[in-house]
Amino acid sequence: MAFYADKDYTQDQEVLEKMNQVMAGNLGLGWYDARTEKIKGRPRDLRRGLTYQDLDIGSYGYSKIPEFIRDNQSMVARGSEKVGKLPDMGYVLNRKSDVWSDNVTTLYEEAKSRRWAPAVDVPWTELDRNPLPHELEAACAQLYTFLQECALVSMDFPSRWVPLVNQDLIELKSFMCAQMLDGSRLLEAFRKRALYGGAGLGRASVSAEQGLKEWLWADTYPQGSVSINLSLAGLLLAVYRHVAAFAPSRVDRRLMGYAMQDAARQVSYGLGALRYHLRHQPAQAAAMNQYLDDTEHVILALLGSPELLEPLIIISGGGLEREQVKAGRLATAKLIRLAVREYLERLEAAGLSGRPGNSRIPQAIERIQVEA
Amino acid sequence: MAVSFPSVEYFEALREKMAAHQDKFQRLGFIDTTFGVSVANNGKSRSFILEFEVYELKSVREVPSVDPRQVDFVLVGDSRVWREMIENIRRNGEADTSHDINTLAHLGEQLKIVYDSPDGHDKLYRFMESIQEFFDLTSQVDVSFNQ
Amino acid sequence: MAYLATRNFLEDKDFVDKWLYTIRTGELDLSWMKSATEKVKPHEANPRRGLTYRDLDIGNYGFSALPEKVRENRSYAPRGAEIPAGVPDSQPWVSRKSELWAFNTESYYEEAVSRQWNATTDIPWDRLESAELPETIGKALSQLMTFLTEVEMIATDTPAMWLPRLNPDFIEVKAFIAAQAMDEARHTEVFRKRALTTGWGLMQASPMNEMALKHLRDADSFSEMSVALHLVAEGNVLTMFRFSEYLSPTDVDKKIFRLVMQDEARHVGYGMQHFKYVLEHFPEKREVLHAHLDEAENISFAGAAATELTESFIILAGGGLKRENIEEGIRITTIFNLKQMQEHFERLEKCGMPERKERSKLYMMYEMGKAAAEAAGIRV
Repeated sequence: MAFYADKDYTQDQEVLEKMNQVMAGNLGLGWYDARTEKIKGRPRDLRRGLTYQDLDIGSYGYSKIPEFIRDNQSMVARGSEKVGKLPDMGYVLNRKSDVWSDNVTTLYEEAKSRRWAPAVDVPWTELDRNPLPHELEAACAQLYTFLQECALVSMDFPSRWVPLVNQDLIELKSFMCAQMLDGSRLLEAFRKRALYGGAGLGRASVSAEQGLKEWLWADTYPQGSVSINLSLAGLLLAVYRHVAAFAPSRVDRRLMGYAMQDAARQVSYGLGALRYHLRHQPAQAAAMNQYLDDTEHVILALLGSPELLEPLIIISGGGLEREQVKAGRLATAKLIRLAVREYLERLEAAGLSGRPGNSRIPQAIERIQVEA
Repeated sequence: MAVSFPSVEYFEALREKMAAHQDKFQRLGFIDTTFGVSVANNGKSRSFILEFEVYELKSVREVPSVDPRQVDFVLVGDSRVWREMIENIRRNGEADTSHDINTLAHLGEQLKIVYDSPDGHDKLYRFMESIQEFFDLTSQVDVSFNQ
Repeated sequence: MAYLATRNFLEDKDFVDKWLYTIRTGELDLSWMKSATEKVKPHEANPRRGLTYRDLDIGNYGFSALPEKVRENRSYAPRGAEIPAGVPDSQPWVSRKSELWAFNTESYYEEAVSRQWNATTDIPWDRLESAELPETIGKALSQLMTFLTEVEMIATDTPAMWLPRLNPDFIEVKAFIAAQAMDEARHTEVFRKRALTTGWGLMQASPMNEMALKHLRDADSFSEMSVALHLVAEGNVLTMFRFSEYLSPTDVDKKIFRLVMQDEARHVGYGMQHFKYVLEHFPEKREVLHAHLDEAENISFAGAAATELTESFIILAGGGLKRENIEEGIRITTIFNLKQMQEHFERLEKCGMPERKERSKLYMMYEMGKAAAEAAGIRV
């Protein structure tokens, strides 16, 4: 085991004596006059309840978190008085601009407020009353198999990093927890949808999984966040919107409606985090550009995966008839262009200017335009 | 009495219905966005700005035109498209899968989404279910078309 | 770079050409349509519950069919999908079912999703405007909340750390952990919010309890982590929440403790069911878990010496700092301390480790404490 207590406390006279003193009524009250700021937070808007924004006050506020957190490696709550020997929890994300986004508290409150439950919020049994034609249901099963792979990675990403984020960044850590739940809920919903339709699961995607692992295993949080929170989530947001727009059933439309809300929150954070990062560490822009040069091929690994592309074409066209496939491939080509355009827009808005010129993705997309 | 579309009265009527269905909107969660709606007819447009806050439509006003920099996004479309959507909602009690906001706006072929910043654009999707439920309240309002 | 895909897809001509060809011609390969996967048709067993994970426990998609050792899937593929050659290894550390499974895992997850609450809107914060507490009580409450704020996030960090290490076939356990992480974030939030609405702000950190947090975080295996976190630590905290609800000075505080109690009971429930499962299905692990419990109980005992917590508890329990308040506070706190230990051993016994009492130093301390309490006229 990596950590043992420094002694056997059941045999330690000092500890036993301390406990006995307190339980004999001799309170030391060393904490009673804690040297901390005395405040009384209250909700600014009762309809909204008491938000984290309401408590952005004095030494307790997130606005006061310094760029470099040098004085806390323990789990002490930000703003409380530190005493005694506190352990080092081994955080590696101690720089605010590596993880923070100005909208993170808003997004955390929004995530809680806009919670949903796949078990009951999707009208599953409508699929019994209105089953889809075989080829459409098979396409859905494949699509939702693919989306489960993506949701799993979206859930793993914040899980990998949250224990490494300094405890002072509590609002951000909380948002990462909300992301974990969002990821798990989408995984659940997609699995339920795939199996409920009766076609079983489809095939895992080699190209997508190879790409997803490259993104998930990024060396640093800012890089991983751009890949997972901005690139992947942005692309999935476009796919969710697309499937909702061409939804073969009300079940799919409703499901995608919820999915797009969760994904849009993730994208908003991803964009905000990159913006904050570059604003406070402008020298990182070059490194980030280089990282994107190296890893943007994953966008193609996802969009070009037959396990995504083909079901999208079938769903967009409504079936496998010649005209349906034609309509489907044209709509899917538009989706791909839309997803890439929005991806580049977000990078630009985050402060990574000139990306359209550097990126090789637009050239690939140009070829689609011509081909389609 | 029927309210005409497009008009401030139409959105006010939806606002009242929204207030009357607070349970539903609270269940869906906070909705904090300000967006524009623009309805074009014969080369002219009527534009509105809708400001949502917490669970409510806080205000609606008609404006000569919507500056995308002042709002999160603008839903722009021909009156024919809007009318078809409204009639569909009134017929079905809610928009069917071909007439919801996302479907109409997705590829920009019926409604267009105009925005200045991707942050604002993404809010359409962050609050999509609430926005759709808001428009679906049209099923409870008598609407006439004045264009 | 920590991982590089086996190909750069932008430079993979065959891949790009096939993609473009598909879009240009609409000639679909459709080989995925022939996936050798099972066709099933789940139903909602109870429409009021909707479609649950238990409803999907069918054929080889189901959790019941999970083998003790997952050998076939190490990728990101969902359980039951066709897995082609070439998918990457997700590098799971835990691929043995008995190392993480709990009876009813899927139900704990569904319950968690269904019973999500919101610390911002589900607590009647506005009522605090008219709830002015005496200084002693306000400070004691703030100190208790400071402690709880400090410890809750460990129950996020620790299981979260394990989540990506679990084989993706264990979807339901991963989902449960994700839900737990959110529960704990909400607990941290609600306690922080309450501390910052007392008028006294946060109070003092607890070094003794911080050591316990470090211990929780650094377990060697998921099972050991779970026994220390879900059973020992959260079991103790659950007892504390029940007492805190009883001692709450306002109805707002009562509401807070009732809500967090629900979540905590779920986590303890998972911990118990996992402990039972691992003892039944992986008997060789028993000694390892005993050894881990030796450490966990030592640290749990040390927690009682965290005077900033005990003292604030005494004050809240007794209602103030006068002599008679303190006496009453000590009486209740003694009951609380003993109850925590008693319930801990009851849980272990119920899960199939009745012999724990014989080797546990904590149990010895419990018996001594109980005898002393009874001698002082305190009945547990």
